[in-house]
Amino acid sequence: MLRYVAHRLLQAIIAVFGVLTIVFIVMRFSGDPTLLLVPEGASQEAIDALRTELGFDRPVMVQYIDYLRSLSHFDFGVSVVQRIPAFDIVAARIPYTVLLAAGAIVIAVGVGIPVGIAMAVRRGRWLERSLAAVVLTGQSMPSFLSGILLILVFGVILGWLPTSGAGDLKALVLPSIALGALSMSTFARMARISIVDELGKDYVRAGRARGLSLAGVVRRHILRNAAIPIVTIAALEIGNLLAGAVIVETVFAWPGIGQLAIQSIQSRDFLVVQVIVLLISFVYVVTSLLADVAYALIDPRIRLAR
Amino acid sequence: MRRLTFVAAILACLITPAAAQTAKQMLTIDAPNDAATLDPHLQWDADSYGVYRNIFDNLLTRDATGKIVPQIATAWRFVDDTHVEFDIRPDVKFQDGTPLAAEDVVFSIKRITNPAFKSPQLSQFDQIADAQALGSAKVHLTMKTPYPVLLAQLVKLSIVPKAYVERVGDQEFNLKPLGSGPYKLREWQKGVQVTLDANASYWRGKPPFGTVIFRAVPDVSTRVADLKTGRADLIRLLPPDEAIALRSDARLAVLTVPTERVGYLFINAQAGPTTDVRVRRAIAHAIDKQALVEALLQGFGKPVNSIGAEPIFGYVPAIAGYDYDPAKARALIKDAGAEGATITFLTSPAYDRRVVEAIQQMINDVRLKAEIVVLDQATFLRRRQGMPADAGGLALGVWSCACQDADGTIFPLFRSGSTWSKYSNPTYDAAVDAARSTLDEAKRLAEYRKAYEILREDVPGLGLYQAFASYGARKELKWQPTPNESLFVMDMSWQ
Repeated sequence: MLRYVAHRLLQAIIAVFGVLTIVFIVMRFSGDPTLLLVPEGASQEAIDALRTELGFDRPVMVQYIDYLRSLSHFDFGVSVVQRIPAFDIVAARIPYTVLLAAGAIVIAVGVGIPVGIAMAVRRGRWLERSLAAVVLTGQSMPSFLSGILLILVFGVILGWLPTSGAGDLKALVLPSIALGALSMSTFARMARISIVDELGKDYVRAGRARGLSLAGVVRRHILRNAAIPIVTIAALEIGNLLAGAVIVETVFAWPGIGQLAIQSIQSRDFLVVQVIVLLISFVYVVTSLLADVAYALIDPRIRLAR
Repeated sequence: MRRLTFVAAILACLITPAAAQTAKQMLTIDAPNDAATLDPHLQWDADSYGVYRNIFDNLLTRDATGKIVPQIATAWRFVDDTHVEFDIRPDVKFQDGTPLAAEDVVFSIKRITNPAFKSPQLSQFDQIADAQALGSAKVHLTMKTPYPVLLAQLVKLSIVPKAYVERVGDQEFNLKPLGSGPYKLREWQKGVQVTLDANASYWRGKPPFGTVIFRAVPDVSTRVADLKTGRADLIRLLPPDEAIALRSDARLAVLTVPTERVGYLFINAQAGPTTDVRVRRAIAHAIDKQALVEALLQGFGKPVNSIGAEPIFGYVPAIAGYDYDPAKARALIKDAGAEGATITFLTSPAYDRRVVEAIQQMINDVRLKAEIVVLDQATFLRRRQGMPADAGGLALGVWSCACQDADGTIFPLFRSGSTWSKYSNPTYDAAVDAARSTLDEAKRLAEYRKAYEILREDVPGLGLYQAFASYGARKELKWQPTPNESLFVMDMSWQ
């Protein structure tokens, strides 16, 4: 088990280093931010002076080595726009994104898995068909549309919930639904498929033959066996929630990392963008690592294979 | 996305919203972004400026008609062409009670002009060679050369408290700014909102609202929803579609103002088929500005004859433009032997794609072949400001120097040697050089008239329209927006 985890950890470290390098290359070759920071009509001398101040006139290799050295000290640089350490700017937004992702996970898991179970158990009945419609809607409606519709219905028409902002928990409800809808559908479909798969197996028939109720079989045996694909999906969904948050946070004026990413790209605050990309990649790597470890815990065959 | 927000806006119009708030002591403004900095010397994008300009006073300001008038300086005299003296208002106090003196003004100038400070506004003030305090009530500025735009630039200089900035340091000052303006910072919730409280002892009188909140709401449909539900009283950056939809709501008002921003078409005079002046004139005849303004800007703009507009000093409205005349354009193209010539049309996501495509169509209609090349903004700027051969034949631009002077408009755009200019004419250079080296307004106007006439003949660029700024507001809000798009809460009130 330990060897398995160490192996996975090594892979994760290589992945993180690859990300660091790709981020550097993409950020440096997508253009020189100096021109975007000076007022229109600035003289060439003023532009050159600022470029020197910011260090963009140095050779790329020197910038790269400098970049790696800074990162090894956890120094992510100072935002050229806000003049605050870039990491602090991003760190201040993390709680909002975590809160929103948590809200979305609650919707996705809390609704998605029971719906998936219900659809599997009541296969071919009217309940499955009507739930399938819900799942399809959640899956096919883009969040910028569902976001605006939710604001319109619950914010403007009914006036039950705030239209934007991050003042209180009430403000979390609509963005969580908009963000969690897609994952909810994914969880529901995955849960349905893997439970249907398991339902056809001999141990289920054996359990039923011993007099166990269907609910009992599902609860005591099927859920554990059906969990592996669901855990894989959950790990990937956390990454998707961070990525999807870009749109939802913009629509709902929710001050998380996604909204910050958009603003920083617009204002060409490239150090902040860099921190955000590194952070999201890091979360992806860590969640996949955790998922791998979780498989090994759930299914002994995986850890013993090594 | 645009279509969806439009549909949402229409739906929103059909609906009766919830009861509006009645907290009259409070004003809430929705802006597209949070302030980047509240240190007034660090950033001057519209969202930062809109907030911190209420915390600070500037040396000078503009009145509702656009005239430069006193604020912290009560009067000023040009000792000679390169020396100016300002009298500093004696009764102004910073929000911590310390008096504002000439030393603070000198400190503010030296701070923003210090290259190591890296202010993006440096180029607006780098003509200032030195600043000295003469006692506590006079400031003496020395210019590198005679600089007629100095006063227009000083309108953008906020006065910061020397003692406080030196005590807390730049980083802390940015987070806890302290000025002499009508509002003081209560709380800055990054990415969410900035809350300001009235400065009861403000020298110009009691501010109109006890509390002002600037919220960051990036999506325009959400800003509109906020306005309709009373979550916001005033929203900034309202596109034409949304503005037209809002007009039907009796409780709301759309406030619109012509700005100093001018949409123009750059035409490369130093590379490609457009090197021939006949091709450039043909392009000028090919473009139907009226149609652009009516169909795409939906009336939220005004066609112009040259690259300028009324709020800009030096602009000559009397100079005729080119009529929309495709037949004449085709004749000129034929004459130049340029039929079917390919012209690169550089653009970036910062420019309205519909306008770019409409212009492409108009140009293709006169038998040229405009090819749109979409670049990211940084690459676009690098090529547009780089060598003529690399700058493309055409590019759209929306220009504002935020100084309301032709020296900040047609000088950087077309003077030989400027990064933006792909054009060279010694007579034109002489005219704009003369206009920037004298303080005599009549002489400056005469030189700009000459310059604009040359631009009309040579067409290194074509003025398209004067852009309008639109705001959505509750009907009870009394406010007249200004051409420089300031958000001075002092000028607003409930009626």
